[in-house]
Amino acid sequence: MFIPGTFYITAVKLIIIVSIMRAVAVLLLAVPLLAQHGAYLNESKNPAIGNPASIALGAKLFATSCAACHGPDGSGGRGPNLVRRAVWHPLSDEMIFSTIRNGVPGADMPPTKLEDDQTWNLVAFIHALTGPASENKVPGDAAAGESLFWGSKTGCSNCHSIRGRGSRMGPDLTNIGSQPLAVIKDALLFTSRRLTLAGKEGVTVTMKNGGVIKGIARNRSNYALQVVDAKGELHLISMDDVKELIVLDHSPMPNDYGTRLSAGEVRDLLAYLAHQTVRGSQIASNGARNQ
Amino acid sequence: MKSTLFVITLFCVCANAQVRYEDILKGASRNWLTYAGTYQGSRYSPLKQITPENAGSLVSKWVYHVPNANGLRTSPIVYNGVMYVTNSNSVYALDARSGRLVWQYVDTRSKKGGVNRGAAILGNSVYFTTTDNYLTALDRQTGALLFSKQFADAEKGITSTSAPLIVKDKVIVGSAGGDSGMRGFIAALSATTGEEVWRTFTVPAKGEPGAESWGDLVEWGGGGTWLSGTYDPALNTLFWTTGNPWPDFNGTPRKGTNLYSCSLIALDLDTGKMKWYFQFTPHDTHDWDAQSWPVLIDIPWHGQTRKVVLHANRNGFFYMLDRTNGEFLRATQLIDNVTWASGIDDQGRPVELPGKEPNADGNWVCPSVKGATNWMGQSYNPGTGLLYLLTLEQCGMYTSSSQKPVPMKNFGGGGATEEGGQVFLRAMDPKTGKRVWEYPMTGSGRMWTGVVSTAANILFSGDDDGHMIALDARDGKHLWHFNMGEGLTASPITYEVDGKQYVAIASATAIFSFGLFEPMKPMATPKVVVQH
Repeated sequence: MFIPGTFYITAVKLIIIVSIMRAVAVLLLAVPLLAQHGAYLNESKNPAIGNPASIALGAKLFATSCAACHGPDGSGGRGPNLVRRAVWHPLSDEMIFSTIRNGVPGADMPPTKLEDDQTWNLVAFIHALTGPASENKVPGDAAAGESLFWGSKTGCSNCHSIRGRGSRMGPDLTNIGSQPLAVIKDALLFTSRRLTLAGKEGVTVTMKNGGVIKGIARNRSNYALQVVDAKGELHLISMDDVKELIVLDHSPMPNDYGTRLSAGEVRDLLAYLAHQTVRGSQIASNGARNQ
Repeated sequence: MKSTLFVITLFCVCANAQVRYEDILKGASRNWLTYAGTYQGSRYSPLKQITPENAGSLVSKWVYHVPNANGLRTSPIVYNGVMYVTNSNSVYALDARSGRLVWQYVDTRSKKGGVNRGAAILGNSVYFTTTDNYLTALDRQTGALLFSKQFADAEKGITSTSAPLIVKDKVIVGSAGGDSGMRGFIAALSATTGEEVWRTFTVPAKGEPGAESWGDLVEWGGGGTWLSGTYDPALNTLFWTTGNPWPDFNGTPRKGTNLYSCSLIALDLDTGKMKWYFQFTPHDTHDWDAQSWPVLIDIPWHGQTRKVVLHANRNGFFYMLDRTNGEFLRATQLIDNVTWASGIDDQGRPVELPGKEPNADGNWVCPSVKGATNWMGQSYNPGTGLLYLLTLEQCGMYTSSSQKPVPMKNFGGGGATEEGGQVFLRAMDPKTGKRVWEYPMTGSGRMWTGVVSTAANILFSGDDDGHMIALDARDGKHLWHFNMGEGLTASPITYEVDGKQYVAIASATAIFSFGLFEPMKPMATPKVVVQH
């Protein structure tokens, strides 16, 4: 989960963030009414929620009033990551509204004196920010991103698959576009910060019979282990048969994409990933999740 | 942050085992590859480790609580030590030895809830359908999505609940929703893309032959196909049952026999063309869907071997037809209390008794709306030559309403309640159509459990009181039971991993797997090295 104070911005990332932010501000105009997460958005009654004009106004306000602490794209900084927060611990619109209005007593978040409608525009923008990437227009050239994804420069497909193509060892990305763009970007650039590794550790298993299996654990207990290797083959292992188990304490995903790729390439790759959904770009209240 | 590149080196090139059509064709083995275990619908396994002699040593080996489950209907699929179970819009792959989750796939885009009866498997793919009619294919080892393609419009009252049946390169899917008006169909979809190969409707369109057996509501007539069917490879024919006509309890707006509701239909696998049909309950007004297994066997009949299909119907009768042409051969009474018909004539038509239609005040008729049996899996055991199934002796009050039927408003044209009743697991002899033995149960008449039987002359089922049970298949003698702690609404299977036989079943909320007791040896935790 997000740990306040550990965030830093590299020059490369700043460029990306700014460019994405610029695009987000413009392109969120296309956010569909229901392009939102879960129940809390469906409960929204304020007309600003899901209204493209309100979202655009909210985006402007966010850039000038909130981005300094919460990051230009809401991914956090001095203040919390709003995108992640919405994924893991969703707040109601009314709660977001009241937080903006009253601030957080005892913390750095100050109260504001925005008008009601301005505040609702901000809430609407924060809402849209948490919507699936596939339902927002994103900057970048998806076709160029496609070449990158399947090419050797990134090596993405050595571990990941999309619609049955690629390696099945790592998480399937067929539906990655159901995640907010900022979450996908975060997973790409700051892999080791992802703490969704439980059951997905990189493992090297030395069996008592001398065999060695390397891959990603899908499930691990003291008694049993299930591993998918680079060929996508599943191994069902009893711990009774294991001599030694090496477990990575971080994601096996390379964490140098911020430097390996140019800002433009990252943007293109993200554009391609943002397009990946189970049911095309259909509007829905939530995306399928595949674990 | 430290930059670490995890370099994958391959140690072994594993044999890329795949499920082939030929494997499914062979029937149940160590694996359980299709809903009923065999294309004949027999839920029969050649496994012999668990016997009537050692069944007393059966213990629960593991339990997996399916998230958000309530009234699971899933029949597990097992291949190479991995079990696949479904809940509404979701699939779970479990280590079949330990019950540990390997992967899960949850489709949250489908807004509808509803039951799901299970998955299917072919090649490296596991298939299931969502409540809004998407056939979804997943990598069997990782759960990675291969495709998800819609085959019917949920806005037209159609939903999907049955396990797909895979034959050759086709995934056969059905349709549910007939109790609120829809047009039933069976469709064959490509196993590689989900594209439609053919679709055969169970209710004719206006102007088509058979439409004269309906009124104006023919295109909402129902005839759901919400249970998987069976397949005869020699005849290249699918056998599928169809559901009730709509509105369920009010026959007035649909004068006629209402083809092809409450029927068994035989379809050519390649084209979907209907070869023949047999309607068990013409113009049904008691919600007696024909959803009960069409079990395929070959038996001696009047001096020659006949290819027959056995069918125990909700309407209270046990039928035998020639499956090459649909010819009616015999019907006997499945349950003792049948009050709507005095029998079945030599053409296979019910001899209906007067005054048994639902009416405004309520009419007491046997069997009840749940039927003499229902969709639960039946088992035909070639060793004993008997068919095993759960039956319900129950009557109920049927009422009809003259309110105007409105499609998709869930208006059944009346209603039905049932009272009391008792469930019996019965062994029927297909040669005579008669009951050989029965196992009476206590409980509230819910009766939603199927049967599996094996070459060791043992059968497994669930009773009406929340117990998993094992009986001697020869005489119905009790061998073993286990209190599952909640009602059972699914059918058991059996499989083998690492030389050990298991029996698995879904309870209302969990998957249980049983095996013979073995004292557990202390397990030394291996050396675990955390690499930074």
